[in-house]
Amino acid sequence: MPDSATKRTEGAQKPYVTALQLFGDYLLMLLVPTALAVYYYGTRVLAVAGVSVGVAVLTEAICSAVLGRSYYLRDLTSIYTGLCIALMLPAGVPFYVPALAAAFAVAAVKMPLGGSGAPIMPAAAGFAFVAVCFRTEVFTYALRAEQKLLGAQSLGALLGGGNAMRLNAANLLDVLGGNVAGPMGTGCGLLMLACGVYLLMRRPRALLATAGFLGACMLWAAILPRSNGGVLTNIVLELCSGSLLFASIFLVTDHATLPAARVHRVIYGVLCGVLCMAMRRSGVFEEPVCFAIVLGNALRPVLESILPGGERTQRKEARA
Amino acid sequence: MKEQTPGFRVSFLKSAVLSNPVLVQMVGLCPAVAATTNVRSAVLISAALCLDLIVTCVLASALMKRIPRAVRVALYLGIGLALICPLLYFIETYTLMNLGLSTKVYLPLLAVNAVTALHCEKVAVKNPVRTAFSDAAAVGLGASLVFLIIGTLREVLGSGAFAGIDLDLPISLKGLSLPFGCFILLGFLAAALQAFSPYLRQAQTREPDAAQPQPAQADVQDDLWSDILEAEAVSNERLAALDEFTERLIGGEEDAQ
Repeated sequence: MPDSATKRTEGAQKPYVTALQLFGDYLLMLLVPTALAVYYYGTRVLAVAGVSVGVAVLTEAICSAVLGRSYYLRDLTSIYTGLCIALMLPAGVPFYVPALAAAFAVAAVKMPLGGSGAPIMPAAAGFAFVAVCFRTEVFTYALRAEQKLLGAQSLGALLGGGNAMRLNAANLLDVLGGNVAGPMGTGCGLLMLACGVYLLMRRPRALLATAGFLGACMLWAAILPRSNGGVLTNIVLELCSGSLLFASIFLVTDHATLPAARVHRVIYGVLCGVLCMAMRRSGVFEEPVCFAIVLGNALRPVLESILPGGERTQRKEARA
Repeated sequence: MKEQTPGFRVSFLKSAVLSNPVLVQMVGLCPAVAATTNVRSAVLISAALCLDLIVTCVLASALMKRIPRAVRVALYLGIGLALICPLLYFIETYTLMNLGLSTKVYLPLLAVNAVTALHCEKVAVKNPVRTAFSDAAAVGLGASLVFLIIGTLREVLGSGAFAGIDLDLPISLKGLSLPFGCFILLGFLAAALQAFSPYLRQAQTREPDAAQPQPAQADVQDDLWSDILEAEAVSNERLAALDEFTERLIGGEEDAQ
């Protein structure tokens, strides 16, 4: 039994979920976008993913040895972290970028903050770190750009520039199918929808945060559009650009960073969504979803304490 | 009978390393984070901090023991400003050194840093000048050491240079030049210090002159030590509670299986 295994109450039928079951599910879901990324970008995807996963596993093993803790690979968290990071990067990224992101995620975030129960999502923090350090490498999508709908220009860059775009049946399929320049494993909206359905069957309560997150993003895109298209076009473009859908399924639903109460989960998702869209609108990065999630993770305890049913409210009620 | 004072080595080990102002007491973080983006800034900030700390502590010990506390604190700030503002003027006018914007902003702000006020109040006004000087020098050196390490790491890893000389490194982590990078480095340094502190304490207890420190100085050091030990006790309690919780969870799962 891994000592860092994490268990959460998940309904009445299954009292506990082990880290193996939890991250096994997530890894199963991640294999599908990885396969699609190989189809779009070739075998380099596997090399990038291999480097990221390998460095994450190695870093965790080294950190565990230094800290005198036991390390269990079957925990799967380091593999999950490495693969998440790789899929959020472009396929043509230099190998040192995923390596540094994975090393940072594990050595500077996951291990110092309590292992698999870290209150900050390691993969999001790792991506945010390399986005700050290697902005050009992380947001350049040149590999096989000639086969894409917009060439090397990503949807995020298009929206950031305030360009007009109208979706017809042909390019809607390209956008939803992920045939636009962007991170190698996050662009396919249809696939993310399928992953969401799988997650709905396996961990329905976790999707409350996803619902709040996507609801806030959609509402923001409808009210404050970044392009001159219609409401529906803006919503589809915002959701399919960058890693937003991927983050809503894989990062926002992280077991250790989710609040316990159902309402709190929805509000936490809304908070992350609002932060993400605000940063997209006025920030300097093309894809700030990981920054928003890290910030949301940091604000979660505050959120839980001030909301009804939170610690502060309970203390007041107890005093009364 | 002549009073025995602790040796400088013991004082240095306690004040500069085991109770390091930046890594343990977490004071003086503002200049550490904002102004130590390169080695030159770190040297400048370190020198200014040492000067401010030593002069203010010595003056506090020699002249301010009978002055009310509220007035004393204002005087520390006045002394600091009287030292650092001319220093900044001298550096800019006569050395033609091109100070960065953050250094220009944070160098005068050193006059109001918490390290000086804390050590003046806790040590200097309760002890003779010699003890105040040795404490101020040790604390200044401890903080300077951290500033220099952080400045070096941030410049080498963040900008690929050392003291302005380009090192032609293939990769530079620009994030380390930003404040969050400094906080991460400080966290790792604090963890390393905590890991090595048991060995340093053992080395300290072997010191021959550590046995009979001067009473007032001993009180002050005891205060600092009690803070550290209390923090450690709280940390241990939390760890024990976490272990208990984990065991209970594992036990619960085994029962379920």
